[in-house]
Amino acid sequence: MTRAAFRDGLTASLPIALGYFPIAFSFGVAATRAGFTEGEAFTLSLIIYAGASQFLALALLTSGAPVFVSAFTLIAMNLRHVLYGPALMRAAGKDASTRRAWVWAFGLTDEVFGQALGALARGQRFSEPYMLGLGIGAYLSWLAGTAAGAFAGGGALDAWPALNAGLGFMLPALFLALLLSILSRRQLPVIAVAGLVTVGGTLLISATSGILMGMLVGAVTGLVRR
Amino acid sequence: MNWDLLVVALLAGTANWVFRVLPTLARTERLAPGGWLERFLAATGPAAIATLFMAAILPLLSPGVAQLLPVGSGTVAVLGVYLVRRSVVLATLAGALAHAVAFWALT
Repeated sequence: MTRAAFRDGLTASLPIALGYFPIAFSFGVAATRAGFTEGEAFTLSLIIYAGASQFLALALLTSGAPVFVSAFTLIAMNLRHVLYGPALMRAAGKDASTRRAWVWAFGLTDEVFGQALGALARGQRFSEPYMLGLGIGAYLSWLAGTAAGAFAGGGALDAWPALNAGLGFMLPALFLALLLSILSRRQLPVIAVAGLVTVGGTLLISATSGILMGMLVGAVTGLVRR
Repeated sequence: MNWDLLVVALLAGTANWVFRVLPTLARTERLAPGGWLERFLAATGPAAIATLFMAAILPLLSPGVAQLLPVGSGTVAVLGVYLVRRSVVLATLAGALAHAVAFWALT
């Protein structure tokens, strides 16, 4: 039962893994292009394991942003993950086990969370081995894609400018898709304020200030009761 | 190894583990919803993503068809595929593909 559930999880991770590989590949290419080694690119994927944050880490580190400002920005960006575990366990029911959550819950990315929640909504029983299989399949694909991109190297795509341009659009595309996935009427003012403050801060002060101001003012907007 | 990168990775990675694992283990879904902390946490993610989308798209918005058409095509593809499939991964890949095709068509 445990092995079967783990295998089911691995199988369910296939669509995510197929999608993750090219995004991670473009991250590996971007990292080596930014001057990082293959090992450093792989380390970011191994430890952080959050796509948009990793692209942003490259931009912040190469722009000379202070280490703690960079870390704070990445941490603030991933704060939304705080809500995934509770939302999933609410759908799983009060008797669902979380004994091994310290392992499988690290794999609760946006897509793994969405897939798991969808499976529960379709009537599947919650199972920790399933969650482990689902998470491991996605994680291994992310690591493999990063390694492949990093070893292909920053100059790997110079002969294919259109492919290069497409991979360069991966980051705004990823942010836009993530934004759509969390869009709700309740959060619209937060999103609008954060976007406007970012544009204002970037144009009037600097890109790093715009990012920090946008996040802080946007999050504080969420405190206003409506 | 770049030490700045390692410190940022360890801080962000540890925070990710904490954000994903501890609320799951603590079964915080049993807490009463609607408090200020819940509202602040719920708003932080959307604020961060909106901010980062603006920060990523702003440098691409320079005047001229050669720059704007690929960006516009990619954006429309992300919106269209997300509306139809509700998949972040597929929408991202479609956006990158549309951007690449528009870039190729213009060069």
